[in-house]
Amino acid sequence: MFGLSGSLLDRRLLMFTGKGGVGKTTIVASLALEAARRGRRPLIVELGHRASMESVFAVDTIGYVPSEVGGGVWAMNLDFEEALAEYLEEHIPVKRVARTITRNKTLQKFFHAAPSVAEVATLNKLSALEGERGPQGYRWDPIFVDLDATGHAIMLLNLPSVMDGLIGDGPMRRLIDGFSSLLTDPRRTILSLVTLPLELPAQETVELYERLAKHHDVELGALFVNQVPPRPLSPKQAGLLDRLEHQARAFELDTLVDDVAIARRAMRYHANARAQINRLRRDIPLPIVELPTIASRSLDLETVSLMGQQTLALLDKGLEREPADLPAETGRRS
Amino acid sequence: MTSGIDELLLRQRLLVSVGPGGVGKTTVSAAIGLRAAELGRRTLVLTIDPAKRLADALGLTGLDDRIREVPTEELRKSGVAVPGKLYAAMFDNATSMDSLMQRVAPDVETRDKILRNRVYRAMAGTLARSHAYLAMERLHEVMSSGDYDLVILDTPPARNALEILDAPSRLATFLEEGVVKWFVRADKGRGWRAKIMQGSGAAAIKLFEVVVGKDLAHETVSFFEAFYGMREGFQERAAAIQATLRAKHTSFVLVSSSDATHLVDAEALATGISSRGVALDVAVFNRSYERLTHADPLAIVVDVGALEVDAATALLFEDDLSRSERETMRSLIASLHQVRLDAATHNLRALASVRRLARQLPPETLGLIIARLDGDIRDLPGLHALGPYLAAPRDIQS
Repeated sequence: MFGLSGSLLDRRLLMFTGKGGVGKTTIVASLALEAARRGRRPLIVELGHRASMESVFAVDTIGYVPSEVGGGVWAMNLDFEEALAEYLEEHIPVKRVARTITRNKTLQKFFHAAPSVAEVATLNKLSALEGERGPQGYRWDPIFVDLDATGHAIMLLNLPSVMDGLIGDGPMRRLIDGFSSLLTDPRRTILSLVTLPLELPAQETVELYERLAKHHDVELGALFVNQVPPRPLSPKQAGLLDRLEHQARAFELDTLVDDVAIARRAMRYHANARAQINRLRRDIPLPIVELPTIASRSLDLETVSLMGQQTLALLDKGLEREPADLPAETGRRS
Repeated sequence: MTSGIDELLLRQRLLVSVGPGGVGKTTVSAAIGLRAAELGRRTLVLTIDPAKRLADALGLTGLDDRIREVPTEELRKSGVAVPGKLYAAMFDNATSMDSLMQRVAPDVETRDKILRNRVYRAMAGTLARSHAYLAMERLHEVMSSGDYDLVILDTPPARNALEILDAPSRLATFLEEGVVKWFVRADKGRGWRAKIMQGSGAAAIKLFEVVVGKDLAHETVSFFEAFYGMREGFQERAAAIQATLRAKHTSFVLVSSSDATHLVDAEALATGISSRGVALDVAVFNRSYERLTHADPLAIVVDVGALEVDAATALLFEDDLSRSERETMRSLIASLHQVRLDAATHNLRALASVRRLARQLPPETLGLIIARLDGDIRDLPGLHALGPYLAAPRDIQS
C-alpha cells in the first residue's frame, strides 16, 4: 500500500473511468470538494455532456469556460466542437479564417466522423489546461477528468499508437508525443477506476483493468467501489431467522413472514456485493476503496463533501473501508 | 383484453429500447421480446453485449451476430404457452463493420481497398461512433427480410443513445457530394463546377492536414475515395432507416432505473428523442422498488406500521427462549423492522424520482415499474417473471 491520497492529489491530471451509472460523477465531485477544502484549486473537466455534474452542484450550466460551481471547486465541460475550434485557431494563423471554417456545419460534421480528431482536440485542451499558470504556480491544482464511458479512456490512451503508423515527423508528431508523455508520466497523470459491487460492472472493470495493464503505460490509482450495501443483520441475529419465521408462520403474522423474506433478500444483496468485491480484490491489484450506499440519492453538497473527506481519510490510513461494517440499526440499502 | 405493453407488442413492428448504461436495458428488452413471443409474435431481439448468463439464456453464447432461434421448451414444460417464436442475435462490433463492407462494396477491389486502409482499420478498432450506425444498418437488413413480425432493438450502451437517431443521417451527410467530394480527387469532372470543387477540395484537405497531419490526411482521402462509389447505397439506406424510426409502427421504449444518476440521463434522452420527432411510447423503470408484501409483488409499499418488539417477542415465543436468545430475538425483530423501514423509505424516494421524470414525458406515455428481483436473470423463466410487471400499467404522471 502506498500513501495514496497524498500521491493521488499530488498528480496534475486525475482521470476517472467507469461504466455509466456507477456514480463516477459523485466520486469526482466529492474528491474535488475535499481537495478544495485542503486549500487546493481543483478543476473538474467533464468529457461528454451529461448534465450530471450540474445536478451535483445544483448549477444551471457548466460550460466550456471554467466556472466556480461551489465549495471552491471549478468545473468545465470539455465540448468537442469548442476544443476543435480552439485547436484550429492555434494552428491556423488567420483567426478569422479558422473561425469561419469551424462554424461551417458541414465541416463540423466531417470532423465529427473523421478518425482521431475528437481525441486530438480533447488531449490538446487537456494538456493546455495542465500547463496553464496562475499568479501562484499552476492555475489548476489538480485537474479531475471525469471520462464519459469506459471506452473513452481507452480511446484517449490509444491515440498515440493509432497515430503512430499514420503520422511522420513534424508539428503533429511533436504534439502527439507531448500527449503521450503527459498521459504516461506517472508523476503527472493517474487513472482511477470506478465500479459497483455487481456482477456486470465488476466483470467489465476486470476486463478494463487487464487491457490497461497489458497495453498501456498509464499509472493506475485506486479502484473505487461505489454503493456497497451494509450488512443488514449480525451473524447472531441471522442465526435465529429460521426459528422466527417458523413461529411467525404458526401465528399467521404475515407481515413478520414478509419481514424475514425482505431481510433474507437484503442479506443476499450484501453477500453478492461482498463476493464481487472479493473477486475485484483477487483480479485487480490496486488499492480498493469501498463507498457505502448513501440513503438519499439526491445528494446535497455537504453530503458529497463529507464523502470526499472520508474517502481521502481512508486512503491516507491505507484502509479500504470503515472498520465497522455495522448491522441494520444505522444501515441503509438501495 | 390486453394491458400494459401487450397492446403495443401486438400492433407494432419495431420497438427501440434506449436508456443509460447499467439499468438492465438488455434484460428488459429480452423480457419484452419473450412476452411478444408468448403473445404469438415472431419476434427478433437484436441485442448488444448481454451479460454472459443472459446470453446463455438466449442461446447466444459465443460471439456471433448470426440470428438464432431461442429454444423455449424449458418454458413450455413449466406450463407457459409460447405460440410465437423468439429469435435473438448479438452485434459484434468489428466483424459487423467488416461484414457490412463486404456486403455493400461494389467489387472485390473496392472492398479490399477499404478493408486494408489504415484509417478504416483505426476506425473499425475504436468504433464508438460508428457502432450506432452499424446497429441501424443491421436493423434495416432484418426489417426488410420480412421474417419477423416484431423486432426489438436494444441500442448500444452509450450514454448518448441519441446517436442511433443521428448516425444514419450523419453518415449520409458525410457522404454527400458536398463533403466527400472535397476530399476525392475530382479529376473526372470538367468545366467550372469541377474546378470549384477541386479548389475547395484542396482547401479542405489542407485544413485537414493541419489538424491530423499529412500522412493521415492522405490515407483518409483514399478511404473516402473508396467509399465514394458506395454513397448512393448508404444514402438510400439512411433515408429508409430514418423513415422506419419515425414510422407509426415504431415505438421507442425508454429504460431507466429509479436511481438519480440514471434519471438525469434518462431525462436528457427523452428530451432529445422528442425533439427529433420520434414517439416515445413507453417508459420502463427497472429494479426500482423493493417488494415488501408477498401477497402482492406489484404493490409499491411506501409506509410501514409500528411494531411492538417486546409484545411480538412475548407472543411468539412465550418462555421457550433462553435469556440471551431472547435478547438476540428482540434485536432481530427490531432489525427486521428497520430493514423494512429502510426499504419503504427507499421505495418512497424512488417513486418520487420516477414521478419527477414522468412529468417531463408526453402524457400518453405508458409507465411501467419493475421491482428489484433476486439475483441476476439467467434463464427464460427469469425473463418470463418480468411479464406481470410489463403488463401492469402504472399511473406515474399524477
